[in-house]
Amino acid sequence: METILDVKNLHVTFDTYGGSVQAVRGVNFSLKKGETLAIVGESGSGKSVTTKALMGLVAKPSGRIPQGEILFNGKDLVQLSDKEMQKVRGKEMSMIFQDPMTSLNPTMKIGKQIMEGLILHQKLSKQAATKRALELLELVGIPEPQKRINQYPHQFSGGMRQRVVIAIALACNPQVLIADEPTTALDVTIQAQIIELMKDIQAKMGTSIIFITHDLGVVANIADRVAVMYAGKIVEVGTVDEVFYNPKHPYTWGLLGSMPTVDSADEKLVAIPGTPPDLIHPPKGDAFAARNEYALAVDFEEEPPLFKVSDTHYAATWLLHEDAPKIEPPQAVKRRMKGIAAEGREQS
Amino acid sequence: MRKYLFQRIIYMLITLFIIVTATFFLMKMMPGSPFNNLGGKMTDEQRVLLEAKYGLDQPLPVQYFKYMTGMVQGDFGVSFQYNNRPVTDIILDRIGPSAHLGAQALIIGSILGVILGMIAAIKHNTWIDYGSNIIAVLGISIPSFVFAGLLQYYLAVKLQLFPVSFWEGPIYTVLPTIALMIFPMAICARFMRTEMLEVLGSDYIELARAKGVKNSSIMFRHAMRNALIPVVTVLGPMTVSLMTGTLVIEQIFAIPGIGEQFVLSISTSDYPVIMGTTILFAVLFVVVILIVDLLYGLIDPRIRLQGGKN
Repeated sequence: METILDVKNLHVTFDTYGGSVQAVRGVNFSLKKGETLAIVGESGSGKSVTTKALMGLVAKPSGRIPQGEILFNGKDLVQLSDKEMQKVRGKEMSMIFQDPMTSLNPTMKIGKQIMEGLILHQKLSKQAATKRALELLELVGIPEPQKRINQYPHQFSGGMRQRVVIAIALACNPQVLIADEPTTALDVTIQAQIIELMKDIQAKMGTSIIFITHDLGVVANIADRVAVMYAGKIVEVGTVDEVFYNPKHPYTWGLLGSMPTVDSADEKLVAIPGTPPDLIHPPKGDAFAARNEYALAVDFEEEPPLFKVSDTHYAATWLLHEDAPKIEPPQAVKRRMKGIAAEGREQS
Repeated sequence: MRKYLFQRIIYMLITLFIIVTATFFLMKMMPGSPFNNLGGKMTDEQRVLLEAKYGLDQPLPVQYFKYMTGMVQGDFGVSFQYNNRPVTDIILDRIGPSAHLGAQALIIGSILGVILGMIAAIKHNTWIDYGSNIIAVLGISIPSFVFAGLLQYYLAVKLQLFPVSFWEGPIYTVLPTIALMIFPMAICARFMRTEMLEVLGSDYIELARAKGVKNSSIMFRHAMRNALIPVVTVLGPMTVSLMTGTLVIEQIFAIPGIGEQFVLSISTSDYPVIMGTTILFAVLFVVVILIVDLLYGLIDPRIRLQGGKN
C-alpha cells in the first residue's frame, strides 16, 4: 500500500517565559492509505501537539517547528505558507476534536458550518453544498437531516454533535482524518457508536485515520498500528497485535498494566510511579529511565535508538540490545494485555 | 414571542408606575416651592392664589391622584415657568437635539469601540493592543466634560475647524458627539477585547481553522458574533449614562436639548416639567432594556425564544 503521510524527525517547541518547552522531540512515523494509526500516551506526551503540527495549527508565534519534515503525498507541509496550508486543511486533511460540546460554533447553524468547507474548497454553489451537507448528515447517522440542518448546536446532544463534527471533517473527502481523542468526552455507549461510525466511514471512503487516545481498549478495536509516545518521542511502534501481545518497552508495559479489564476486577492496578519529565530541560539519556524499574545504567547516559523487533515493530529501549539482560514483562501486565486486546475486538 | 412581549410590557408599565410615584413624592420633599423665590415682589395673597390655581394647596395624596389621572390620559400638566405652556410641548421642542446627539454618539461610539477592541485582540500583546488599552482606560476614567473643554479649546478655538457651540447644522454636532461617544467607545473596546481573546482561544475557532477557513472569515463570521454577546449587555447601562451625559454636554455646547431644560426645571421647582422629563427618561430606559433583551436573542440562538413555549 502506498504511503500517504511520512513524518520525519519532527520537532515542535513552544517558547514560554520559563524557557522553551520541547513538546515533540524527533517523531518519525508513516501512514498508509486506508490505514488507522493509533497514537497513545499519557497527557503531555506530545500526541496532540504532533497532530496539530500536521494540520499546521501549532499556535504562532510561541509554537514553532525547528526541524523535521511532514511529507504529505511527497510535499513537505512544514515548508508551506499559511495560505497554502489553508488549502490543505479541511480539504485533504481534516480533524475531529475532543470535546463536541465546545467545538461547534454556538451561533451558527450546523448546516452552515458543514457547508463552509464545501463552498471554500470545492467551490460548490449554495444549493449543491446544501445537498451535500444533507448527504453527510445522513452518512454520519443523524436522523431527519432536512430538519436538523437548520438547527443550532445547542439543539443537539453530545453524541449527535460529535457526529456533526465528523460530518464537517468528512465534507471534502479528506485523505487523512485526524481524530484527537474523539470519544473521551462522550459516555461509553455513545463512544462505541462513534467508533463504529468511524470504522464504517473508513470502509466506505478509504480514509487514513490517525487516532489519538489513551483508551487502549479503543485502540484494539479500531487501529491497525499503534505508536506509543512518551515525553515527545515515539518509544514503541508496531501493529496492534505486536504491541499488545509482545510489548517491548517498559513504558508500554506500564500503560497496559494500568488498564483495568473485566477479568482483572479484583486485581490491583499497576501504576507507573513518578511524573513525566520536564520538557524544558529534558533529562539526559532515556526520558523514561527515572520512572523505569528495569532501567539500566546506560539509560541514564544515552538515549536508546529504535531497535527493530520485526519489520513493523520497533521499540526504543536498551533492553533490546543484545548485551542487555533478558527481562519479561510482569505477569499482571501479561494477563491484561490479552484481556484488553480481546475486549477491544469483541466490541467490533 | 407575542406572549413574552406582552408580559414584558406589563412589567414595564409596573416599573414605570413605581418610578413615577417615587419621583413624585421625592420631588415634593425637596425644599422650596415654585412661587417663593421672586425676591419679595409677590405678596402672600398672590402666592396663595397661585398655589390654589395650580392645586398646590391640596394635600399630597390628592395632588398625586390628580397628577396620575391626568398622566394616564396623556395630560402631563402645564409648566409653572413658561406662561402655562403644556409640558408635552416643551419636551417635544427640546427632545430633537438630545435624541440626535445621543443616538449619534451611541452608534458611532459602540461601532468604533467594537472595532478597536477587535483589533486589540487580534494584535494581542503588541503596541497596537497596548495603545488601544490606554485609549480605553483614558476614555473610561476622564469625564466627558473634560474632553468637551479640550475639544472646544483645540479644535474650535485654536484650529477653528468646528464651531465652539450652538446647534445649527451637522457641523455643529461633531464636537459634542466626540465628547459624548468616548465613554461608550472605551467601554465597548474593553469588553470586546476581553471577549475576543476568550473566543479566539475556543475550540470552535480551532475547528474553523482546521476547516481551512481564512483568517478574516474566522474573525468576522465566527468570532465577532460570539464576542458581541457580552457587549450587548453593557449597551443598556451605557445608553443611560449617555442620557445623563448629555445633560452636561448640552450645557457646555449650548445645545437646546432636554438636558438643559431638565436642569433648569429642577432649580426652579417646575414640578410638571420635572415629572414629564423623568417619565420620558424612565420610558426610554425600560424600552432600551427591552431592545437589549431582544437583541440577545438575535445574536445568540441559545437564548432565542421558541414560539408557544414558556
